[in-house]
Amino acid sequence: MGILIDENTKVLIQGITGREARMVTKHMLDYGTEVKAGVTPGRGGQDVEGVPVYDTVRAALKEQEINLSLIYVPPAFVLDAVQESLDNGIKLLVVITENIPQKDVVKCLRLARDKDARIIGPNTVGLINPGAGVKLGAIGGDDPDRCFVPGTIGVISRSGGMTAETSWMAKRAGRGVSISIGIGGDPMIGSTPRDLLKLFARDDDTEAVIMFSEPGTHFEIEVAEYLEAGNFNKPLIVYVAGKFTEDMPAGTVFGHAGAIIEGEGSKPSAKMERLRQAGAKVVENYDEIIDYIKEI
Amino acid sequence: MARILEDVGKRFLAEAGIMVPESVTIESVSELDEALDHLEGDVVLKALVPVGKRGKAGAIKFPVDREEACSQAEKIFAMEVREFPVEKILVEEKVAINEEYYISAAYDKKAQLPVVVASTAGGIEVESMSRQHPDQIKKYHVDPFIGLPDYKARELWAELGISGGLLRKLGQLTSRVYHVFDKYDCTTLEINPLVVDEEEELLPADCVMATDDLAIFRQPELEEFVQVGSERLWRPLTELEKEIVEVNEADPYRGTARYIEVEGGEIGFMCGGGGGSLVMFDSLMRLGERPANYTEFGGNPSADKVYGLARGIISKPGVRGLLVCCNITNNTQVDKVAEGVVRALKELDKDPQEFPIVVRYAGVNDERGQEIFESAGIEYHGEDITMPEAARMMVEKIRDKNSAGRS
Repeated sequence: MGILIDENTKVLIQGITGREARMVTKHMLDYGTEVKAGVTPGRGGQDVEGVPVYDTVRAALKEQEINLSLIYVPPAFVLDAVQESLDNGIKLLVVITENIPQKDVVKCLRLARDKDARIIGPNTVGLINPGAGVKLGAIGGDDPDRCFVPGTIGVISRSGGMTAETSWMAKRAGRGVSISIGIGGDPMIGSTPRDLLKLFARDDDTEAVIMFSEPGTHFEIEVAEYLEAGNFNKPLIVYVAGKFTEDMPAGTVFGHAGAIIEGEGSKPSAKMERLRQAGAKVVENYDEIIDYIKEI
Repeated sequence: MARILEDVGKRFLAEAGIMVPESVTIESVSELDEALDHLEGDVVLKALVPVGKRGKAGAIKFPVDREEACSQAEKIFAMEVREFPVEKILVEEKVAINEEYYISAAYDKKAQLPVVVASTAGGIEVESMSRQHPDQIKKYHVDPFIGLPDYKARELWAELGISGGLLRKLGQLTSRVYHVFDKYDCTTLEINPLVVDEEEELLPADCVMATDDLAIFRQPELEEFVQVGSERLWRPLTELEKEIVEVNEADPYRGTARYIEVEGGEIGFMCGGGGGSLVMFDSLMRLGERPANYTEFGGNPSADKVYGLARGIISKPGVRGLLVCCNITNNTQVDKVAEGVVRALKELDKDPQEFPIVVRYAGVNDERGQEIFESAGIEYHGEDITMPEAARMMVEKIRDKNSAGRS
């Protein structure tokens, strides 16, 4: 089963006729993902890799059963696209687009909260469930099996590239993943690590979770508080990247746009200490992830 | 995030109906006399630089007469404020201070909403303000679809003990400040201090404005004030950094190449992915080495872009080797990476026997990539090693080279 996506996931892609979206549509279909419809205003009636394209989300929903919207529209149109899916009752949205103005992100997230819907991203590589053969977004490219093999470890990563690498580390340790999720690199995102840990806590197919973190944000403090409240009874392995940034002049952004250190608590060393106190297995050298996985 | 200088920020405030102090911007001392003729009474001279704490840096002066104004302006023009040379000075009428308040608008990342902060304890740094006068600070989370109505702003100031005509004026001004914040896609708009003078008139004595560089496409007025590539740095771009911004902008829709020069270091650092680069930099530091630069590249760049980046990295003086490493790629074509790197090495005449190189690059088209690297005499690794292992190999190679050079 896994969390968020499984065999029952039926996908609509907003912005399906764009260059990248076309390629990703093909890769998703090849992997077995049910892509039921695409939407590009003005392109209704066309198709992409055999997937019918509609002018509006409403028109797509009249003919297709959909429960997830994958958003590939350019930054200036994301707010409108998110609003369109939410207003048409879609409750799970994956926003791939990066470089969205902060004001628009805030509005998207606000609307999703009002509608009791969930957003993954923005600025995410996507997510994948190898057991179910479902992937959303560029994650895994044209060869998902290289990094993502079915297993019982959940992966939560701030970095798209490291979602793949960390899942590959699980494979190298002789295991595989239940679900791997790129949460997105923006300062504000729809689903934080704590939100996802809550889902993993209830998922029988996930034995342990690996989290890849970066400088900045309050996410790890929230996770530490969540662990301390005693709600997560599975091993949590954490690697916090970017310790070196603490020795660099303030004001520079290394890594994602969200990686701005604001306050002591968002420094990598502080996050590591705090998570260690809360009972997480905090890795100093990225390679140690393999040792911890073998202990599970 | 891009800083907008004080004179422009105040112009936007004035356009929104907020009264601001009279001022003239000068670009050389020779323009000072005319500026002083234009302004009445005492003035303040402020360096127009995109960084804070100008007062502490000696870049804000209060001259007593024309003669002193002239000598102080000369000094300010000769300064660099936190590495930014002073190209303009704001000559502004000095305001009579009765009280100093504080207003800001920004995004609260945790609440994921805009937040307006008001305080009657302005005139000091916001950190000290929060520490010393928490009871004199009020915050309000704004609904981004509604904005900040006057009445909400009045409620905020009323809670801080303000009443009478001043309350009305503060309500209106605060609402207008939020309007400017919203209109120009600001990430921060801070007025500190907001001066209350003897007649209870409100005058923003400073204005710190930063706009969202991602929204520039719908802010044509701001375009001229924003330098591409500077939004993530603590200092002006170096020549090499500017060169690589150009490489990146030459083909803005395919792949990303970011480059930050770091002081010292022998290892040319060419690592991919935002997160992957952090892992590799940390791994090298753990082994006691400091890379010569930081990079992030990915998103399937063209061979030309890879070449431009590689060339820049290698050409920094003192670079004695190159580490090319990435997480297993989702879409970046390894053969394009190989083509670009090999071309840069050949053009700069770097022989892999003399100039140690470690490559760890697995992903799309990696078999072809391996061929290109290996036929240029470069040791290639893919899924046979992890990322930290590639860092260790690089460190060993460069140390071997250095000890061989010394013996």
